[in-house]
Amino acid sequence: MVLLEGKNLNKCFNDKIGYTNALQDVSFTLSKGEVLGIVGESGSGKSTLLRVISGMIPPSSGSLYFKGEEYTGKKPRQTGEFLQVIFQNAKSSFDPRMTMEKAILENGRGKKDKDEILRLLELVGLEERQLSRRAGELSGGQCQRMSIARAFYSNAEILLCDEITSALDVSTQARVVELLQRLKSDGKLSAVFISHDIALVSMICDRIMVMKDGRCVEQGSTDEVIGNPKDEYTRLLIDSVKRQAI
Amino acid sequence: MKQRTLREKKLKKRIIVVSLLALLIILMTTFAGVIAPNDPYTTSASSIRMAPGAQYPFGTDNLGRCVFSRVLYGGRTTIAATFLLVFISFSIGTVIGMLCGYYGGILDQLLMRLADIMLAFPQMVVAIAVAGILNAGMSGAMVALGITMWVSFARLSRSHTFSIKKEAYIQAAFFAGKSDFYIIMVHVFPNLLAPVLTNALTQIGTTMIGLSGLSFLGLGVVPPKAEWGSMISEAKAYIQIAPWAVLFPALATIITIIVFNYLGDVVMDYMEV
Repeated sequence: MVLLEGKNLNKCFNDKIGYTNALQDVSFTLSKGEVLGIVGESGSGKSTLLRVISGMIPPSSGSLYFKGEEYTGKKPRQTGEFLQVIFQNAKSSFDPRMTMEKAILENGRGKKDKDEILRLLELVGLEERQLSRRAGELSGGQCQRMSIARAFYSNAEILLCDEITSALDVSTQARVVELLQRLKSDGKLSAVFISHDIALVSMICDRIMVMKDGRCVEQGSTDEVIGNPKDEYTRLLIDSVKRQAI
Repeated sequence: MKQRTLREKKLKKRIIVVSLLALLIILMTTFAGVIAPNDPYTTSASSIRMAPGAQYPFGTDNLGRCVFSRVLYGGRTTIAATFLLVFISFSIGTVIGMLCGYYGGILDQLLMRLADIMLAFPQMVVAIAVAGILNAGMSGAMVALGITMWVSFARLSRSHTFSIKKEAYIQAAFFAGKSDFYIIMVHVFPNLLAPVLTNALTQIGTTMIGLSGLSFLGLGVVPPKAEWGSMISEAKAYIQIAPWAVLFPALATIITIIVFNYLGDVVMDYMEV
């Protein structure tokens, strides 16, 4: 079942330096229980695509569908009902004056279910005592897991993860990746995972979309893209990971 | 890190000491009715311009009124009017600033240009002109000063709202379906309160000078009501015969302004550590 679909998405920014085509004719689908990875170097349009999908900015042209129903042009207040964004810097995604419990409850759209919060905390590997803490009192990794719990509490069906491990140290990164893998194997995760790290994406995602200069240069299953890359740019990305590993 | 903690401790101590002084001033003027040895408005032909002594600790004025009692009662007028004016300017300015910073657009352009116009004139000149036109005693003086006072609060809260609005937690609140009113009240206001309150503290001294200045010029409190500025204005005519009638209200004004300005400064330093 296709949950999310983007058709021929374009985004053009008009600023002081002129027109910038940040997205050019990008199309994708995301099925239930699937994790779609979007990789590419800085400036390739990954984050713009995430902002367009989430409704933070409207596309210049093209359309977006959730379960076959068009939602192009809807704002985060409406899109938040079915998708949630996990931000790169988890700490700054929590109000510094608010306890974690309040922040999670805030995302429930009126729902106040402490048992569910405790269940979610267990799911992401956190403890009840951390609910009374503020973002400044938790580590980056704990905040990131807390933001995953917050997103799940909203009952949204899709997570949009924007470079969620790039601000974390290696061991914390591993714990967050492990959590995502566990959620995926439990069938609880349908997500778009944005990262510049193709090795990380290949560990979590079922399918990969490679972006360059606002275009999708290659799209396919993880095994296909990693094992048999068709585009020169994808090969370069994979080779650079191999070189780093050596 | 250790140096930072030491500085924090030092500043905390200073804040406590200066706050206690400020509290003492407020309590003395609030309980003027209990502390004052004489009625501040009773005139006495037999005790005109008496030097400070046991019966009249700060001496008497041209009408034989107790200067000490009038300083205490006058402080009540000055401090209450100052606090009220700062509070109203803080409320109006902060609301305008938050709305401008949050919504931007034409509303922001209009209100900020109005603020620029207000800042183009020296505050005291505008206040004198407006107080003169209104001729409404202390309330007129408060309106006159308030016309320009909201601007600093508006500009400060606007710039803070701009930066808060860019924070990811505001985006998260949008995804949680929260209304603009909720976001402004729950996320924006509490996060800009500290710097704006610090600004309010530093404004207390300036406002006190403004109100006393207008009263000194005869544009504030109407005699015989006791107020530090009007007391100085009345007594300046016989300063060479009875300098205490000018000296004590002037000292009270200077000490109070120094205490509140210093309190604002140390709180600001503490926030920056």
